[in-house]
Amino acid sequence: MEFLEQLPALFSDFANPKKRIFFGYLALSVLIALGWLTLVRKTSIAEALRRIFDRRVFFSGSAIADYKIFVINRIFTFFISPMLLSQVAIATGIYFFLHSLDFLNPAAFTGVNQATVVVLFTLTLFLFDDFSKYLVHRWMHRFPVLWALHRVHHSATELTPVTVYRVHPLEGVLYTLRGVVVQGVTIPTFYYLFGSAVSLYTVVGVNVLVFIFHVSGSNLRHTHISISYWPWLEHLLISPAQHQLHHSVAERHFDKNFGAALAIWDWMFHSLHLSSGEGELVFGLDASEGSSASSLKTLYLQPFHDIFRILRRRVRGFYGLAQRLMTRV
Amino acid sequence: MKSLKLTTCLVATMMFAGTAYAVETYGPFPVTVLGYDGEKENSVSYSGQIARHVLHDSLKKLAGKGNGGANAAELEAQMLSYFNGSETDLPIIAPASKDGVPVKQTMLNEISAGKNIAGKFYDGSMPAWPGEMTGKEVILHMISHAAKADGGYDAVNGYDYAQLISKFTMGAMPYSQAVDNYLDEKLGEGVKPNGQAYKTGAYYTGKEHVWDEAFGYFGAASHSMRLSAEDNYNVAKLRDLGSADLNGDGVIDLKTEYVFGPAYYAAGADKSGKTAYMETMMGAFIEGRALITGANGQNLTDQERAKLQSHAKTIADNWELVLAEATFKYAGSVYKDISAITAASSEEEQAKAFRKYVKHWGELKGFAMAMQSGKNDLGKTAVHLNRLIGFGPVTLDGTFVSGLDADGNFVKERKMSWNSYQLHMLRVQELLAKNFAIEARANDATAELAGLLESLSGDGGAETD
Ligand SMILES: [Zn+2]
Ligand SMILES: [Zn+2]
Repeated sequence: MEFLEQLPALFSDFANPKKRIFFGYLALSVLIALGWLTLVRKTSIAEALRRIFDRRVFFSGSAIADYKIFVINRIFTFFISPMLLSQVAIATGIYFFLHSLDFLNPAAFTGVNQATVVVLFTLTLFLFDDFSKYLVHRWMHRFPVLWALHRVHHSATELTPVTVYRVHPLEGVLYTLRGVVVQGVTIPTFYYLFGSAVSLYTVVGVNVLVFIFHVSGSNLRHTHISISYWPWLEHLLISPAQHQLHHSVAERHFDKNFGAALAIWDWMFHSLHLSSGEGELVFGLDASEGSSASSLKTLYLQPFHDIFRILRRRVRGFYGLAQRLMTRV
Repeated sequence: MKSLKLTTCLVATMMFAGTAYAVETYGPFPVTVLGYDGEKENSVSYSGQIARHVLHDSLKKLAGKGNGGANAAELEAQMLSYFNGSETDLPIIAPASKDGVPVKQTMLNEISAGKNIAGKFYDGSMPAWPGEMTGKEVILHMISHAAKADGGYDAVNGYDYAQLISKFTMGAMPYSQAVDNYLDEKLGEGVKPNGQAYKTGAYYTGKEHVWDEAFGYFGAASHSMRLSAEDNYNVAKLRDLGSADLNGDGVIDLKTEYVFGPAYYAAGADKSGKTAYMETMMGAFIEGRALITGANGQNLTDQERAKLQSHAKTIADNWELVLAEATFKYAGSVYKDISAITAASSEEEQAKAFRKYVKHWGELKGFAMAMQSGKNDLGKTAVHLNRLIGFGPVTLDGTFVSGLDADGNFVKERKMSWNSYQLHMLRVQELLAKNFAIEARANDATAELAGLLESLSGDGGAETD
């Protein structure tokens, strides 16, 4: 009985337009997929629907693990509130710090009209947020300790919109911290310069640019519907097909397309891979990773085990180095 | 409505039966002195404290009367007559009748004769002001400079003497006297015992009068408990005769119907809707008085005294918070004023913004000094507060008062940027919020920032690809 009472809270993200899996965005994704398959790929509506709601995908071991992880990870959300407190601390600290820059008065730009401030703030926050996602994602692949965590997301062999929640809780913490830092820096800086004119241009309470990202099918990146954009557009925005390619097991696709909404970061830092001419992709990890698509025990615990091993190796390395240095002295 | 209020008082008085009873006004309370055979029926008396509030309000008004030096000697003498008291009766300069809001008394002796501020002024060390002086020396220093200034305004050093004198006094006299004397040692056993008249022939007992005097220093109207924060505020501003005139005689009786400084600032914080200082303090005053009256002219038992002391603690604690709220508020005003000064587009606009800034700074400084005139040694907090606020505000050429020369004149040997001084104001607010349980926090310079952060939280920042 008590469990049933908790159900609405458990699934509140489906009703929250700030979240990607908001039912409205999901419905729009279905429509976009349907349009793509029938109009561009010229399949029949029946065939299109069969592919969109593919039972082999949604009832696969990998997808079922996604669903379980979605529920289990809710338990870890209580880690989030203390981090929001640290956001206030960061923001206040930066706001205080800015006062020490004698060449820049607080509210120095209060004369700027409000519309300009709102546009500037909305754009800056979106760009900074998107870039930080690119950067952290890149680190996730680059550093072994972080990869041990991020591997959980890549262990999915079938992609569903819920795969966005297929994240090790520790990676979730790191991503939240990323958001804390971005907002904790951007907001006080704008507030310092523009005073109370600062506000976000929102639609249904969401940054309008994030809203556009979601209504244009952000959920499709974690599906089997391979929607590509024109090559020029894939230099600017990450298409669903480009992110699917990020999940590919093929070695030529490794460390490509780290971007969230924008492709410009991948383009700038040479990790962009266009989607054309790639054919059917296989998702998941190389067998050598020793991960699992469906075992929760492996998904939750293996990262700790791996991190421990990596750190132990490091410590031994340092110890050995220190010993060699000592004997030399 | 008014007659109804009166009836309530009378009923409350008649219901007196030796136990605590619910009353909403401070008095009337029956005479309990054993063996008293005079005609008095109400033992409440605090007119001496009201006279001192009136001396303070008048002194504040005088502090703004200088003409830049010509009348300095004369004005200083006049101010000192209000500070030290006078053999002859003094006219009440403030609070004085306003259009449609007449004040009953016009001369001080109509309230109480022979009173002064000097005898009740905090005279411990006051490091917040340059010159290493005691509290009383500081106020005399301020008075002498106020007399020489033009309209109480010293643009060079950034002082508004009316504000400085008034706000400092609000702590150094009523607050200090109440929390460090009447609500402290005078509540002790054997001091002004309740089993005896306060003095021979008095119609109030020792403890009754001690408590009344503390209430008098708080400066609320006897019926402030019944008024909203807004009403109390408007009564103090002489804007609302209806709310003030409890007995319906068409005039405001300063002795019972007016709201003076300390109570006015309690109401000011309560206007935020986040605090209830007036209700809490009035409640404690009334319950404390009812408890003493309930002892029926006998000495208080240990239990009764403990209860009384807990009411006293409630009053002292909240009083300190009221002063901290005011300090917090004016630090926020000063912060905003600096933005206006730096953003000013003409010299005239800047001078106007600077005048406002100096006024608010005077209030900030005065209240910060008031906080340091009570019973509590604020220790490190006071040191930091004084360092952040400084001896004087940063002035238009970037300098600020750093001390006094041998003749007692201000010297400005240090400089600071506007930004740094704004940061100091943020730190003042941070310091106060951290060390005092203040809730109203008017003019919070970082509240908007916190609100902005709040409004953007939970936006899916944790979504991973
Ligand atoms: Zn990845
Ligand atoms: Zn992904």
